[in-house]
Amino acid sequence: MQVSSTEKVSATGEQTRVSPTAVRRTVLTMLHRAKASHLGSNMSVVEMLCAMYGAVDCGKIRDHAPDRSRIVVSKGHCAAATYATMAHHGVVPMSLLDTYHLDGSMLAGHVSHAVRGVEHSTGALGHGLNVAVGCALGLRSRGHSDRLVLTLVGDGEIQEGSIWEGLMFAVHLRLRNFIVLVDNNRISSITNTEKVIDMRPLTARFEGFGLNVREVDGHSVAAIAAAIAELHAAGRPGVIVCTTVKGRDVPFAEWQPMWHYKSLTDEQCAQALAHLDTLGERR
Amino acid sequence: MRGQIIEAIHRRMATDPDVFFLTADMGINLVEKFEESFPERFANVGIAEQNLVGVAAGLANLGYRPFAYTISNFAIHRCFEQIRNEIGIHDYPVTLLGTSTGYDNAPLGPTHHIIDEWGALKTIPEIDIYCPSSVAYAGTLVDRILAAGRPAYVRIPKGGPKIPDSTDHVVKLPGTASEVLLVSYGTPAQSCIQAQEREPRLSVLVVNRLRPLDEEAVVAMLAPHARIIVVEDHFPSTGLYGSLCELVARHPVQGRLSSLAPQDYTLEVGNSSEYFYRKYGLDVSGVLASVG
Repeated sequence: MQVSSTEKVSATGEQTRVSPTAVRRTVLTMLHRAKASHLGSNMSVVEMLCAMYGAVDCGKIRDHAPDRSRIVVSKGHCAAATYATMAHHGVVPMSLLDTYHLDGSMLAGHVSHAVRGVEHSTGALGHGLNVAVGCALGLRSRGHSDRLVLTLVGDGEIQEGSIWEGLMFAVHLRLRNFIVLVDNNRISSITNTEKVIDMRPLTARFEGFGLNVREVDGHSVAAIAAAIAELHAAGRPGVIVCTTVKGRDVPFAEWQPMWHYKSLTDEQCAQALAHLDTLGERR
Repeated sequence: MRGQIIEAIHRRMATDPDVFFLTADMGINLVEKFEESFPERFANVGIAEQNLVGVAAGLANLGYRPFAYTISNFAIHRCFEQIRNEIGIHDYPVTLLGTSTGYDNAPLGPTHHIIDEWGALKTIPEIDIYCPSSVAYAGTLVDRILAAGRPAYVRIPKGGPKIPDSTDHVVKLPGTASEVLLVSYGTPAQSCIQAQEREPRLSVLVVNRLRPLDEEAVVAMLAPHARIIVVEDHFPSTGLYGSLCELVARHPVQGRLSSLAPQDYTLEVGNSSEYFYRKYGLDVSGVLASVG
């Protein structure tokens, strides 16, 4: 895989401003090379992941510092986007991405703690959020409640009952460092989420559980980052409902449930990369 | 035995800042002291066992050594995937403490007959499985688990039998003859010990740690016997009978294995565990009848 030399990675783990378009380019290349699925979600979460890794001390994550902030990607099928974002933030080497899906590598299609810097292996849905609640409780008990715990869930994933068990408990404990980011791309596995279980109005559901809720453009890193900062300062558990597009910036894949399953042909990958070039390094 | 285990955890929490106690709203008049003594290392997650396991894993991520307490079926049957993914795959040193095992909750019906749980857990390779059969062993268990630093499940039977007075994982009570060996754990072990009191020719093997089995030691203990009867309040195919069948297939044990155990769920009501012990032959009479 070739990664653009203009993508800067901090060797010291200092925070860098990462271009979501650059991350998408990396993700597309990974997915194409591996003939991997889950393109839709891997495109919808890019800005969310950039905001999440941009909000924490990535050096501490890379060094596995006990008092690091925790990022738990609960929708584990966003592995390519997670690994790419981690690499662009200097948490893992960019060269590691070349091994995505390869025999004997550590980069599976769902996030794995075999990769240093990943807190928890996920894949089955409705698991990571609860682990994140435990991390937030543990950080508080260790005296580090200023450290963020950010967990990324899907709008389909929140149909799992365990999610609401975790949310109730986080609210009960008033875990001030705990923030959930919902990838509200409105498509789950085979169809639109509203056709499966209509959760609208989603913000009201979370508010009803006692959470501090913000709704933002999920393709604006600045808006997500601002919401993270605001919720962290507010001192109680929060949810950021990020309105996103499944397959974002890959025109033939946007809004198409089938791109949960399909893999890119050579022509499609070239077409998608060419489209990204027309976008520049925006946002 | 529940009391010994809880006391031991409470004691360790005073000296070990990494021990954390979680309950899914179980343990009245038992777990309150954790909150009183160590409020920052205690949490009641409520009737939410999936969250219990997830939170335990999150705490383990922080370097804690969580003990998660509830009725066994709520922890294991309900949370199988959480245990597999959060504890098994991550190899986190979380200990699941499960009560009301076997027919301890007999009159409460088949949802509360916990006769198939540790066999289900046995399919997850990383988890050590304990079932203390006496207070002597139960008293050592928490220190052993913390020393091992591995994922664990403790199947806690009711009561506090004094025999066997041994802290070994596997305890043999030799009989006067070598023909029959009764193998058991937990409450049915007491039926076997009482059977031996009546028939001293019978040998008894009490297994406190169900997995891993010390293969060499167990094979040596099985070897002299022509008949080996596994007595358990758990389905045999996934229980200790199944484990010993695997063992015997790999090692030169000549004895013939048989099982005394429930084979299915039942809707029948029993006022106490004795009813089901009689029904499935797990009481002293049943054990002696199986010996013939």
